[in-house]
Amino acid sequence: MAEVRSRARELTKWAVTLPPTAFLVAFFLLPALIVVAASFREPGEFGGLAPWPAHSLDAYRFLFGDVIYLEIFARSFAVAVLTTLICIVLAYPLAWLIAHSPAKRRDLMVLLVVLPFASNFLVRIYAWIMLLGPANLLFTPFAVIIGMVYVHLPFMILPLYTNLENHDPAWLEAAQDLGAPAWTRFWRVTFPLSLPGIFAGSALVFIPVIGIFAVPELLGGTRDILIGNLIKQQFLEDRDWPLGAALSILLTVVVLVLAALATWGARRRRHGAKAAP
Amino acid sequence: MKARHWLWAAALVTYAFFYLPLAVVVLFSFNDSQLNAQWVGFTTSWYAKLLHDDEMLGAAANSLLIALLSSTIATVLGAMAGLAMQRYRVRFLPFLVLTPVAMPEILLGVALLLFFRQVLDLTLGLASILIAHVTFSIGFVAVIVRARLSGMDESVFEAARDLGASPWAAFRRVTLPLILPALVAGYLMSFTLSIDDFVITFFVAGVGVTTLPLQIYSMIKVAVTPEVNAVSTLLMAVTLTLVFLASRFAPDVLKAKA
Amino acid sequence: MNATAEAPRRRVFTRIFSASLRLGGLLLLFAISAHAEGVLHLYNWNNYISDETMARFEASCRCRVKQDYYSDNDEMLAKLDAGAVGYDVLVPTGNAVESLIRRNALRPLDKSKLPHLKNEKPEFMNLWFDPGNRYSVPYATTVTLIGYNVEKMRALHLPTDTWALIFEPRYLAKIKGRVTVLNSQRELMAAAMKYLGYSVQETDLAKWEEAKRLIIRAKPYWATFSNSTYIKDLAIGNIWVAHGYSNDMYRAREDAKAAHRPFTIGFETPQEGAVLAVDSFVLHKSGARPDLALKFIDFMLDGANAADVSNLIGAGNPNAAAMAHISPAIAREPGIFPPPATLAKLEMLRDFEPKMRRSLSRMWTEIKVR
Repeated sequence: MAEVRSRARELTKWAVTLPPTAFLVAFFLLPALIVVAASFREPGEFGGLAPWPAHSLDAYRFLFGDVIYLEIFARSFAVAVLTTLICIVLAYPLAWLIAHSPAKRRDLMVLLVVLPFASNFLVRIYAWIMLLGPANLLFTPFAVIIGMVYVHLPFMILPLYTNLENHDPAWLEAAQDLGAPAWTRFWRVTFPLSLPGIFAGSALVFIPVIGIFAVPELLGGTRDILIGNLIKQQFLEDRDWPLGAALSILLTVVVLVLAALATWGARRRRHGAKAAP
Repeated sequence: MKARHWLWAAALVTYAFFYLPLAVVVLFSFNDSQLNAQWVGFTTSWYAKLLHDDEMLGAAANSLLIALLSSTIATVLGAMAGLAMQRYRVRFLPFLVLTPVAMPEILLGVALLLFFRQVLDLTLGLASILIAHVTFSIGFVAVIVRARLSGMDESVFEAARDLGASPWAAFRRVTLPLILPALVAGYLMSFTLSIDDFVITFFVAGVGVTTLPLQIYSMIKVAVTPEVNAVSTLLMAVTLTLVFLASRFAPDVLKAKA
Repeated sequence: MNATAEAPRRRVFTRIFSASLRLGGLLLLFAISAHAEGVLHLYNWNNYISDETMARFEASCRCRVKQDYYSDNDEMLAKLDAGAVGYDVLVPTGNAVESLIRRNALRPLDKSKLPHLKNEKPEFMNLWFDPGNRYSVPYATTVTLIGYNVEKMRALHLPTDTWALIFEPRYLAKIKGRVTVLNSQRELMAAAMKYLGYSVQETDLAKWEEAKRLIIRAKPYWATFSNSTYIKDLAIGNIWVAHGYSNDMYRAREDAKAAHRPFTIGFETPQEGAVLAVDSFVLHKSGARPDLALKFIDFMLDGANAADVSNLIGAGNPNAAAMAHISPAIAREPGIFPPPATLAKLEMLRDFEPKMRRSLSRMWTEIKVR
């Protein structure tokens, strides 16, 4: 019996793992390898890539030999951190309310969160231009942050709501029985339990924000250049694919390392919390 | 209950933040001004123009079709990936799932185009756009499904199996209801990602196949007229109608809830 | 977790799922059936050919024209570089034409099929990017210049016929935060080079460094880098001076007029010279219908049809027979149709070799960061 069970479990595991893995290997990993290889090649005389045998570390050497690129990386990370924090603050109350509403209203509230995003990105940004222009806020770092938060907020609200909706009320009741005031109940029970949601939301906000270029381009001023703009410039203006690919790959690696560190930290924290009652 | 009032206030601020620009979008779709910078007067002529603009309507239809299909596929695959990561701890999967989210979209676009054309020799068209959209959406669904599962007691699933349920039955009766909110949220996220994507779609779109964002971005040089506001408003209305129809299909459900 | 409440939601969700699959299948069928007839595929700038002109061509060739759009030469080139195929006709700018020719991506023109080629003005034929016009037929021209709010400039006593207006702090101080420049390394640095008296095809990096310093000195006075929104901003009055394309300035002027703004928009080619862009029709090798493509180009060379782009968007026109069909207000505008003396001072952008491109890119990054 146990053996059949474990075999069935093994089978289920593969049935669940294989389709997404196969899809991503075919349509992400293989294409990605092509561009990783591209970063070690030389730009073609008129754009694209030089014929195959020519290859070098030039692109990476160029990037590492210059602090200016580091500065742009740092700036982009600062914007992403700020955007993520603002998203958490704005998303939490709304996500909590959605999670604690009756089922029927809950669906409506979730729908209202995503409905604006069925319109078009550019049209929404133009609307912000109209709103920010008369207030003299257009072409400022503030406008960039507003735009970033606006574009990514649903990606914080939705994971957070799915998490909050899942909390076992027994925990809160227990805390209440123990006489804990509301604020303490929130900080000691709800908030720690919602960390996976915050974590997932932060990943889905922080990671895309770093690479985006349209928001700083349309709302920012003369100093608002982020890493996404730099990458776009390599592909769509300077026709320097190797440099663009190298920049993108560095960015991807840094982001993944950060995500791995965060996961590791969260896991340690969780185990620590379990050990100490 | 005072805390709840504050929460509502905060939530309303967030909703206002969402809908303030949207109100501008909708309002200015009725603006009688090509320039569309200030309110001039009320007109429905942009909608009339839109109804005869086959290019724009075709692009909108393509966008909607691709969004519906890609988010459906991405939800299925993403849910599987989320389950595999959380329940079976498949080691390499988080990397595989998160990297497409982390990779700058231009690079992903170029990579997919190179791959489609120079490795697969595929003719670009709707299918290539569909594949690309699924690729960047899977990660979003997987992350949210995994986050939903991570707070959960694994013993529930074990119990179901102990009671003799087949894996499929255990999934349908136990796992699916539990992850359903995450699936809905993931579906909605994929939908918005797909319907709004410009950069990746630009690269993988085939000859004569256009989507709404492609159409609108190419107008940025021409200056964006209220017709674009009109088509955006229309798209939101269609989305709303689709959701409404989908819930009307199951009237018993609504009755049961009310 | 309330299981009874969740079950119906599940059903709703399943419905959406299956409904979208079915709808998808249906629409896919439509998409496939649309591909059967004779279709010319054009990869073009948006709004570069009017609907009426296109309809006339479709009637005369008994075929359909499908257009895809780009908003920048480099977008189009990047897409073709990565292997996109199936476009019959492209409309690239001179430097992009040269680059496409060098990459062996174009089909030579069969001039026996182009009887109207004689309509072209000689000064726009046989240009450096395609000697002998083996591959390209000029369609429209644009000058990168300065557009401005006429009343404001008059009130502030600012000169509008020189690049000094956007580069010299003594002028900029009066219009701080009311100036936009193009978000384009090639265009903005070219303007600075012109102001310094150098060629835009200069290969001495020291001179480009000088241009970089000029730009960094002027930058604090600019509102932003803008490639598109300046049209609106000029017409509304948010911006008083913009570095941009002549056809965009024409549009800003017309928009301001139509919206009854209390000011007018003017534009002028700086006396130091400026960048000229010549966009041409070329045949991409991957196109399936070179026959239709040639028919199309010859149709567009006819004076009445060629005039369309000037009347539509205020572009300059390399077609002599078109001049009679262009509205006089546009035909007389020196910013759109430069007189010979100005034309002599205009230069076209030319692509540099990869090392030079990377050095210029590094300068541009520094400009942006500072």
